[in-house]
Amino acid sequence: MIWKLALRNIHGAGLRSIINVGIIALVMIGIIWMQGMYSGWMRTAERQSREWQNGDGRYTHRDYDRFDPFSWDKSYAPVPDELIPLVKDGSAVPVLISQGVIYPDGRMISINIRGIPSGQELLKLPTAKLGIVSDYIPALIGSNMAKNSHLKEGDVVTLRWRDIHGAFNAADIIIAEIMRTPYAEVDQGQVWIDLKQLQKMKDSPDAATFVVVDDSSKQIHAGEDWIFLSIYDLMADMREIMKTERIQALIMYAILLFLAMIAIFDTQVLAVFKRRKEIGTFTALGMTQRAIIRMFTLEGMMYAVLASVTALIVGSPLFLYFGSKGWKVPESYESFGIEGYSDAIVFYYSPSMIISTVVIVIIITAFVSWIPTLRIARLKPTDALRGRLS
Amino acid sequence: MSEILIQTKKMSKYYPAGEGQFAALKDVTLDFRQGEFAGIVGPSGSGKTTLLNIIGSLDCQSEGEVLVLGQEVSKLTPKQSAALRSQHIGFIFQTYNLLPVYTVYENVEFPLLLLKMSEQERQKAVMQALTWVGLTDKIKSRPDQLSGGQSQRVAIARAMVKKPQIVLADEPTANLDTENSMNVLEAMQTINAELGTTFIFSTHDAKVINFLKRKITLVDGQVASDETNGA
Repeated sequence: MIWKLALRNIHGAGLRSIINVGIIALVMIGIIWMQGMYSGWMRTAERQSREWQNGDGRYTHRDYDRFDPFSWDKSYAPVPDELIPLVKDGSAVPVLISQGVIYPDGRMISINIRGIPSGQELLKLPTAKLGIVSDYIPALIGSNMAKNSHLKEGDVVTLRWRDIHGAFNAADIIIAEIMRTPYAEVDQGQVWIDLKQLQKMKDSPDAATFVVVDDSSKQIHAGEDWIFLSIYDLMADMREIMKTERIQALIMYAILLFLAMIAIFDTQVLAVFKRRKEIGTFTALGMTQRAIIRMFTLEGMMYAVLASVTALIVGSPLFLYFGSKGWKVPESYESFGIEGYSDAIVFYYSPSMIISTVVIVIIITAFVSWIPTLRIARLKPTDALRGRLS
Repeated sequence: MSEILIQTKKMSKYYPAGEGQFAALKDVTLDFRQGEFAGIVGPSGSGKTTLLNIIGSLDCQSEGEVLVLGQEVSKLTPKQSAALRSQHIGFIFQTYNLLPVYTVYENVEFPLLLLKMSEQERQKAVMQALTWVGLTDKIKSRPDQLSGGQSQRVAIARAMVKKPQIVLADEPTANLDTENSMNVLEAMQTINAELGTTFIFSTHDAKVINFLKRKITLVDGQVASDETNGA
């Protein structure tokens, strides 16, 4: 019965109800949209990480620290025997990393040399051309690297590196292909050559810095030199970025929600004030004060329920568009090098995210609606009937 | 002789006034029997509305006893008090107090919702109540689309729809012109005659006074006279 009464009152309140429902719906759409963007961004970053560099995880040399180039010359070892069968059947890809320098147009640019088997198909890197026979070492670079170093396909450039004995060597490489990749970590400052070639250059046969696998569920003990990093471990930095972004977004949601709640609070205060006579009438007709408080609270809560429905109906085209087409980040952002940012971010709306957003907004609305109605309990029926405040 | 529904025994009501107290009612002793068409008359401030509010368990006396349908109103819990009103007492107010967002039908239906009646029963009762007051053609109208007389007739239908034993009408014709006042009073008189409902009015309107079967005059919160028509 109370539901029916609340609905009738909301219906009867006309424009006021429309404004309240509209504001809450707008906030809900904003929250769901933003949450969808962050979830989609994270998923895009994870997909890129899987496709371009990390597969389903990787066995990494214990001493390898990607932020410390000084460690790189000491952080590789022969691919462990346990992983060799996987490498042979293509379900694992060893990668060797070394520091190097290239000299395009007489300028000097520090780079990372990455060795990868030319025939691998586990990662999306177009490595086929690394195996072509040439007078020069075939190399693969990303489009951003090409742009920054002014290199183009067919260019020959000198590459210098340090071998296992600490001696500097140099050879000419030819840019066999410039790849377009959304994953900055395999592009910026990276020069890819055939793994065997790099192992030869480093005088380290069979060496690898890490071995990417396509299925982390296979439990392999690769020896003490190697540690397994799951895709979850490898996304730790990205999660930290997301955490910061989400906190910023959360502050914005909180402000938006606060404004919406002020509107609801204001409506409820006004309702209790303007409907004193009605409250008196309800009492005279036999409603208890508790039932009246419940009804007024429910009315406030119903705004959130109606707003949820409105948000889902009105917001659906927006959610569907960004959930299917995604949001293409402007080109200039690609140079930021943040994972997932240099690709169309396909928004992801999980049912749990939508449900939790709706439930949280409804609970907060119910609370905000309830506080002003406590005044009803202090209202004397005889005063209320005359439209007076007790 | 018909059953006594309401009894007040040496009942007084005081309100704080400055450092002292103001007596709105003093030693009021009255009985109301089933089927009475009684009015409490007197000038403004004589305590008419206070008496009706106490009988309707919207307020409590300060001293004395008030028994309504055998229950001492000052001892009722809020829930019991609400139950007494919802089941046995109908209210009619000077300013109609119709719920503005509801249609005529919904306003009249409201007391039945509190009694948790089935929709079918509610529909039958609402249409019957609207027939008594001659407003079956206005069921979809909202209060702001009705005249004063029509609004008061809706209020009567709302008070009568649950067929209460007691109807308390506080200055029911104060906002109505003569013609509408007559219509409203005739409607109440008919219901009183047909259903035996006890009507207690508070009024100082001469038109209403002429309709009353019993006239209780209050002066300064005290019963100055209690006359029965034709007695």
